[in-house]
Amino acid sequence: MSEIVLKNVVKAYGTTPVIHGVDLHIASGEFCVFVGPSGCGKSTLLRMIAGLEGISDGEISIGGTLVNDLPPRERDIAMVFQDYALYPHKTVFENMAFGLRLRKRPSAEIESRVREAAQILQIDHLLERRPGQLSGGQRQRVAMGRAIVRNPKAFLFDEPLSNLDAQLRSEMRVEINKLHKRLRNTVVYVTHDQVEAMTLADKIVVLSAGRIVQVGTPDEIYNRPAAKFVAGFTGSPPMNFLPCSIDADGAAILLDGGIRLPVPQARRAVCSKLAGRRLDFGIRPEHILAEAVGSDVATVPAHVQLVEPLGSDTLGLLRIGTGEITGRFAPEAPLSAGATIQAGFAMNKFHLFAPDTGDAIRDPGW
Amino acid sequence: MAGATDMKLGLGRKKTVWIAAAIVAANGFFPALWILFTSFKTESELLRHPITIVPHDPTLMNFVRVFVDQPILLFLGNSLVVAGLSTALCIFVSALAAYAIVRLRIPGRNVVLSVLLAVSMFPLISLMVPLFQTMRTLGWLNTYPALVFPYAVLSMPVCTLVMASFFQDIPGDLENAAMIDGCTRLGALWHVVVPLAAPGVFTAAILAFVNAWDEFLLALTLSSRVTSRTLPVGITLYQGEFAFPWPIISAALIVAIVPVCALIAIFQERVVSGLTAGGVKG
Ligand SMILES: Nc1ncnc2c1ncn2[C@@H]1O[C@H](COP(=O)(O)OP(=O)(O)OP(=O)(O)O)[C@@H](O)[C@H]1O
Ligand SMILES: [Mg+2]
Repeated sequence: MSEIVLKNVVKAYGTTPVIHGVDLHIASGEFCVFVGPSGCGKSTLLRMIAGLEGISDGEISIGGTLVNDLPPRERDIAMVFQDYALYPHKTVFENMAFGLRLRKRPSAEIESRVREAAQILQIDHLLERRPGQLSGGQRQRVAMGRAIVRNPKAFLFDEPLSNLDAQLRSEMRVEINKLHKRLRNTVVYVTHDQVEAMTLADKIVVLSAGRIVQVGTPDEIYNRPAAKFVAGFTGSPPMNFLPCSIDADGAAILLDGGIRLPVPQARRAVCSKLAGRRLDFGIRPEHILAEAVGSDVATVPAHVQLVEPLGSDTLGLLRIGTGEITGRFAPEAPLSAGATIQAGFAMNKFHLFAPDTGDAIRDPGW
Repeated sequence: MAGATDMKLGLGRKKTVWIAAAIVAANGFFPALWILFTSFKTESELLRHPITIVPHDPTLMNFVRVFVDQPILLFLGNSLVVAGLSTALCIFVSALAAYAIVRLRIPGRNVVLSVLLAVSMFPLISLMVPLFQTMRTLGWLNTYPALVFPYAVLSMPVCTLVMASFFQDIPGDLENAAMIDGCTRLGALWHVVVPLAAPGVFTAAILAFVNAWDEFLLALTLSSRVTSRTLPVGITLYQGEFAFPWPIISAALIVAIVPVCALIAIFQERVVSGLTAGGVKG
C-alpha cells in the first residue's frame, strides 16, 4: 500500500502563509495531478510530500507511515525535477545506480535493475554517456529512469515536461502514461499543462492561492467545475462567462443587452429559486453552435468579430448583446468575420456561478 | 554588423588581457628567475661588477651546501606535514561553512560574510602574543599543532569565500535529488557539491597550502626548535662566514619552491580534467 494522505497541511515561510490547510487523500496506485496558476503552491506542496520542505502544521503520511519528521531518503519516494537535476559528473548508468548504491544493493542486482529500466525507457545505448552529452528528451528519460530503478512507493513529478518542445512533450506524455499503466505506482504530478492533466490524471487537484478549490476526475473537473476559477482554468479556450439574471419563474436566463435564453424543463426548478439574483452565466466554447438546431438550444443573434481556423476546428469570437464569447465550431461552419449569425446555446450544458464567491450553483443532477 | 563589432571588441579586450598578464608574469617571474640564476653562481660572481645575469661558470656547490649545512629535508618534511594538515583541516571546516552560508536559510547571511571578510583583514602581528601564550599554556610550543591550527584558521575566511562562490553556482535541485536518492545533507555535499565544485575546492586548497607553506612569523615564534622547524624559518638560518650567503639561500629557496610548484601542477591537472569530465549543463 502506498497511499498518500495529507491532513490539514500548512506551510508558512516566516510569517507568510503559502499553504492554508490542505486535506487530500491519494489512493495507492493513483495518478494525481496538481494544477493551478503560477505561485499557488503546487511545488511547495509536492516538496513537502518529498520532505524537501518542512511542514508548519498538519500531517503527511505515505503508505500508512507518518512522515512529518522523516528526511526525504527515508520516505521511499522518487522525484523527477523540472530541470532534470541529473548528476553531471556521473554517467547515465551511475546516475541511475546512485540510489541503489547508497542502499548498498549487490552490484549484480544494480546492474540488472539499471539495464531493465534503461530498456523500458529506451536509453540502454546511452548508459556510458554523461548528461552533458544528451539531448533534452534523453535527459528527461534518464531522470525518469533514475526514479523507476528504485521502485519507490511513489513518484513525484514537478513539471517534468515543461522544458521540452511541443512534439517531444506529447511523446513523453504518452510514455509516462504507459509507464504508469505498467508500474502502477502512486504518482503525484505537478503541471501547468491542461492536456497533461486531462490525459494523465486519475484525480486532478485544482489549487488556488494555497488552497484546494476542487478535487475530482478529469471529467468532473471539466464538466462539473465547482467554481468559476476552475471553469476558467480548464479548457482552451476556457469557459465563457457573461453576467446574467434569472426571470421570475426560472424559465429563462436574461443576459445583458436584452437577450433571453429559455431554460430547459429539467433545470427550471433550480433556476426558479435563483430568480432575481445577479449571477455569472458560463458556457464552454464547444457548447456554442454555429446553427441553432436541436432541442434545448437557445437561438441568439451573434456578430462574428474574428474567425480563427485551427484546422481540426475553428474558433470564432462572437459579440452577443454587450458581451463577447468564443465558440468552437466545425471547420466547415459558415462563419465569416463581420457577418451576423444565429448562434445556438446548448442550454442543457450551461453553468451558473455566484459572482461574489465564484462558487458554482448547481443541482447534483446537472 | 553587431556581431562584427562584438568580435572587434572581444579581440581588443583579449589583447589588453594578454598585456596585463604579461606584466604580471614578468613582475612575478623576474625575482624567481633571479633567484634561480643566483643559486648557480659562486659568491664571488654574485658580487662582481658589472652584474652578470646568467651564471658564467655555473656550480652545484650551493645545492650541496643547502643539504649539508642544515637538515633541510627535516624542514621540508615539517613544512609538508604542517601545510598538508592545516590545508586539510581548513578545507574541511571551510567547505561546511561555505555550504551553510550558501544553502541554509540563515538570517543575516550577508553579515556573516562581511564579518568573515573583516576577520581575514586582521593584522597577524596583533595575534602573536595571545597565540604564543595560548600555545605555551597548551604545551604545544614547538609541535605541529602549534602551527597547524593557526594556519588552518587564518586561511578559513578566504577559503570559505572562495568555496561559497563556487557552491552558489550548483543548482539546489541536484542536492535535493541526492537527498531523495538516499543521501543525508552532508552526503549530498560530499557526493554532489564537492565533486562539482572541485575547481573551487582545489583553488581554496592551493591558497591554504601556499599560505601555510610561506608563513614565517608564526613559525619563528611558535615552532623554532630544529625538530619542528619549517622551511621559511630554516632557510634564514644558513650562515655565511663573512657575508650573507645569498647563493646558498637562493638554492634553498629553489628547493623550497619546487615541491609547491609540483603540487600546484598536479592539482591543476586534476582541476582541468575534472572540469571537462563534468560537462556541467549542456
Ligand atoms: N523560500 C521561500 N520563501 C518565501 N516564499 C516562498 C519560498 N518558496 C516559495 N515561496 C512562495 O510560495 C508560493 C508558492 O510557491 P510554489 O513554488 O509552490 O508555486 P508553484 O505553484 O509551484 O508555482 P509555479 O507554477 O510557478 O512553479 C509563492 O507565492 C512563492 O512566492
Ligand atoms: Mg512550481
